[in-house]
Amino acid sequence: MKKALALGLTTVLWPVLAAGADILRPYGPVSPVEVFRKLNGLLLDAWPDEGRAFMEFITSFNVYYLYLALGLLGVFLLHYFVFGPRKIVHRGEKVPYYGFFTRFVHWGAAVSMTLLVLSGLAVLFAKALGGGSLVMGLRSVHVGAAFIFVIFAVFLFLALVKDMFPAPYDLKWFLVLGGYLSRRTRPVPAGKFNAGQKLWFWVGTAGGLVMFYTGYKLYQFTAPVSYLREVLKIHLYLGLAVLGLFLIHLYMSVIAVKGALQSMLTGYKDIEEVAVMHPKFYEKLRLKG
Amino acid sequence: MARMKFLCDIERCIACNGCVVACKEGHQLPVGVNRRRVVIINEGKPGERSISIACMHCSDAPCIAVCPVGAIYQREDGIVLVNKDICIGCGYCFMACPFGAPQFPRGNAFGARGAMDKCTFCAGGPAPTFSEKERRLYGQNRIAEGKVPLCAGMCSTKALLAGDSAVIADIFRERVARRGSGIAWGWSKAYKE
Amino acid sequence: MTNSMNDIRHSRCIFMIGSNAAEAHPVSLQHILYAKEVNGAPLIVVDPRFTKLAAKATEYVRIRPGTDTAFLMGLINYIIENDWHDKEFIRTRVAGFEEMRKVAAHYTPEVVEEITGVPKDQLARVAKLLATHRPGTVIWCMGITQHHIGSSNTRACCILQLVLGNMGVSGGGTNIFRGHDNVQGATDVCVLSHSLPAYYGLKEGSWKHWCKVWGVDFEWIKGRFHSKEYVHKKGFTLARWYEGVIQEDKITQYTPIRAVVFWGCASNSQSQYHKLKKALDKLDLVVIIDPFPTTTAAMCEKDNVYLLPSTSQYETEGSVTSSSRQAQWRYKVVDPLYESKTDYEIMEEFVKRFGFADKFYKNIKKVPEDVTREIARGALTIGLCGWLPERIKKHTDNWHTFDVDTLQAKGGPCDGEYYGLPWPCWTETHPGTPILYDISKPVTKGGLPFRARFGTEYTYPDGRKESLLAAPGVANPGSEVMGGYPEFPGWKTDINVIREALKRGMAPFGNGRARCYCWNFPDPVPVHREPLHSPRPDLIKKYPTYPDKPDHYRVYTRFASEQKPELVKEFPLILITGRMVEHMGGGAETRSNKYLAELAPEMYAEVNVKVANDHGIREGDYMWIESPEGGRIKVKAKITDRVDERTIFLPFHFGGYFMGKSFAGNYPEELVPYALGEPANIVTNYGYDIITQIQGTKEGLCRIKKA
Repeated sequence: MKKALALGLTTVLWPVLAAGADILRPYGPVSPVEVFRKLNGLLLDAWPDEGRAFMEFITSFNVYYLYLALGLLGVFLLHYFVFGPRKIVHRGEKVPYYGFFTRFVHWGAAVSMTLLVLSGLAVLFAKALGGGSLVMGLRSVHVGAAFIFVIFAVFLFLALVKDMFPAPYDLKWFLVLGGYLSRRTRPVPAGKFNAGQKLWFWVGTAGGLVMFYTGYKLYQFTAPVSYLREVLKIHLYLGLAVLGLFLIHLYMSVIAVKGALQSMLTGYKDIEEVAVMHPKFYEKLRLKG
Repeated sequence: MARMKFLCDIERCIACNGCVVACKEGHQLPVGVNRRRVVIINEGKPGERSISIACMHCSDAPCIAVCPVGAIYQREDGIVLVNKDICIGCGYCFMACPFGAPQFPRGNAFGARGAMDKCTFCAGGPAPTFSEKERRLYGQNRIAEGKVPLCAGMCSTKALLAGDSAVIADIFRERVARRGSGIAWGWSKAYKE
Repeated sequence: MTNSMNDIRHSRCIFMIGSNAAEAHPVSLQHILYAKEVNGAPLIVVDPRFTKLAAKATEYVRIRPGTDTAFLMGLINYIIENDWHDKEFIRTRVAGFEEMRKVAAHYTPEVVEEITGVPKDQLARVAKLLATHRPGTVIWCMGITQHHIGSSNTRACCILQLVLGNMGVSGGGTNIFRGHDNVQGATDVCVLSHSLPAYYGLKEGSWKHWCKVWGVDFEWIKGRFHSKEYVHKKGFTLARWYEGVIQEDKITQYTPIRAVVFWGCASNSQSQYHKLKKALDKLDLVVIIDPFPTTTAAMCEKDNVYLLPSTSQYETEGSVTSSSRQAQWRYKVVDPLYESKTDYEIMEEFVKRFGFADKFYKNIKKVPEDVTREIARGALTIGLCGWLPERIKKHTDNWHTFDVDTLQAKGGPCDGEYYGLPWPCWTETHPGTPILYDISKPVTKGGLPFRARFGTEYTYPDGRKESLLAAPGVANPGSEVMGGYPEFPGWKTDINVIREALKRGMAPFGNGRARCYCWNFPDPVPVHREPLHSPRPDLIKKYPTYPDKPDHYRVYTRFASEQKPELVKEFPLILITGRMVEHMGGGAETRSNKYLAELAPEMYAEVNVKVANDHGIREGDYMWIESPEGGRIKVKAKITDRVDERTIFLPFHFGGYFMGKSFAGNYPEELVPYALGEPANIVTNYGYDIITQIQGTKEGLCRIKKA
């Protein structure tokens, strides 16, 4: 034990070897301490500052995904049984709501996003899957899906961005939580897209691009290691937000709001639904006649 | 049981890269995968020194701690190995390693990283000893043959020492005592005891 | 090498000049660093460039290229002035000391500083280190030899060791590191144009000796030559053979050269490569025998090339001679791959077709053992008589029984013998001579005195007479004559004379003195002469070069007429070349290895930061380097402090480009080396040694500009 200690930091200075010590001085003396310091700087890089923290981060971060997924599942169940899904009586009159292009890029993005989420979760919880070639294959799916997603995300962004700018009433929508915490159907303050959809839009597209960039850096794996560590952190934190909104979006559109899924398939929404869920947009439609 | 360690004597290392080439040739590694590398400080100036660095086979190895699938493990003699059948190539170990040891050859689909590759201390891997699979995935198993790792065996100036830590520490301490200086760089970082 | 690599472990001081052993001979550093650590031996490195070796030095001396003799003579003078010379050694075993001393007196520390740029304090410190740490070894390589005064440089090194009394002792000696594992062997069997094997020269007696060994008629041999004159005329050298083709300098041969055979030789290691290329394109026939298609093959633009694939060293066997004069048997590891043939087979095919196989193979029934046996029968001058294949194999097979420090076997089948039977190994039972000129051991046990090569007495120009035989009382233990004695008549051609000498405990070649004054050299005592292309025109007048030499290995070689003081104005930077640890020689083999190519993929020039900034060149920028002979190369700049503010350094291993143009397409398909680059030797300058005609690649001039 002592041995290792003595060795670990042996920095004995050049001793006086012989009587002619003055002529034996080393050329260009550099102290062992300085050599040690330089090697640390070159080889360990930022490890002494970041290494431990990174290890703690990476070993504890998976559980947040687990908590989030389980938590949301609980919330959805609770919501479903307490408030039930939103059903709006309709008389059959439909208004065109999503154009073909919008629907096309939405579904392109949706499919690739689903692949990304699933394969991403597979990487995070690889241990449960036994690791190895299965997860390695899913990592490749993740990479492939990312390249597809980013193309759709760009077009989705262009297609929808004009209706996605925040409006004053969005705040109110958040305050009443979109009116979902109620069995009664009352109009909520929202335009063509409500505040929740807008949030999802920005996180999904702009955030998606950040996810793509950070993911690309991790795919390349050539950047300096401390940059990679940062990039991984961003990827994982943002991934958490994406996962959360992805699940909420999924629950809302497929289960919580009857007809939502239908409208994204057909492009038409019931006029009553628009009046209740998107009253600002309904007014606009009415003015237009 | 003997504890296997590396020690590079930087007063002896002449940056000849013999260790690097011996490792690559011996294990038939793809170009771009450097299980071992040589770095130089103060190049061309007084005080120029070099050191040969690979996996240090740390005690409490950070790579083992961060591996999400438990693919990395430590043998009783301290050698840290990776099971390529389990590894998913996520790269966490590289980001956790103080020495930059883990390497990732390009895989097939979309050029994504394959399973992690790193110095095995020439001890092969989890596949059956001397099997074709072991040779293909991990390279030679010289430890099982009773030989020192290729890099240390090849070292032209005996700067790179590999083996039982008690023995190599003795060799190094003797050198330090004789010449009055020396740094076992990496030891305080890699080894606890 | 007078001593051996392992013997450096006993040195108390290591003086290395013109050697970057850390890159060129990495394994030798094992012994050098051992001496440095265990003996506290100072490691003095004298080099224009701060090499990887200099990084390990305790004293680094930056010297101006081409001024080694001045520095060495300065050391010698300083040592004598301070009365540090070994007076007893000089009295008993050295000749011409007084004459040498007079010449050396000129090189005071001030004069040396003026010529070499080495501060006089440092000269004094180095001299004191040498004087206070004995025995010390002096090691040099091509940094000393590749100059137009290379032969003077080497002699100055030898004289330094004589003055210090470091010859013939363990830990001392003059140790010249040879390149790969058989460069010494190639020298010993003399693949050179000026001598028959084993340094016999080209005299009639030499021919007759070898004809006897070969069992052929001397008249028949004579008849193979163009005329009698050419039997004894030195041939072209490796450095200048191409002049025999392009004749830019006048040649003295009845015909120009029409064909050339490169047998394991890299043409891109020869200076003024652009002229060599001109010759390649003019020749009728270029034959390249090599495991790899070399740069030479790619450079030929005329359809005149034949590639004969030979095997690598692992696919054939035979004896090789190491730097330390030791023989080793190199066994075959695998059978020849693909269509390659061993050198023996290729030679046999040639000989058969030339129609003298009966004579060529008269003594050779089994290759390669009988070849080794024939060498042993003929090479008496260097005592290869004891190098029988069985003995060499026995040593190689039992290498583990030899001691790493003394190289002597303790017990086992080779008990008492030295590893590899370092020559001279006079008889079948001689143990080899691990240290040359060591009079502490009997001759039969590996001791030797200095050779009495130049008679028994000499009268110097000033009338002083001196005996050339060792002083009375100085001889190997057990010698019948305790004192100097001349060589045994006929020892070079008759093994029985050697046996007789050994029986009497005496050296066959006599017991003489080492000369400081060589009357058969242009400079009897080494003196400084400015490089042909000198960066110091002011010194040319004081230290001019030699007059031109009209018939220097069959070609007119310019000295005085090439030394122009105004050249430096146009070409202000000094150009030196050297090696990288990753590549070997011309690089055909190493640049075709993916791992080595990965480590060192590109040709570069080392440029000091000041030079780079003055020329607007940044790290990694391409730049042109131009030589006074019209050669130019485009290379990447590596900005480093390794070189000083007036020097450019180039590694010479690259090939496949020529003056900015890639010749990758000229390689056979799929055999293009992984790493290609400009050959440094396109820009190395004119300049050849006055005696050996070695090229002066370490003292040229150049200019650079951003590409």
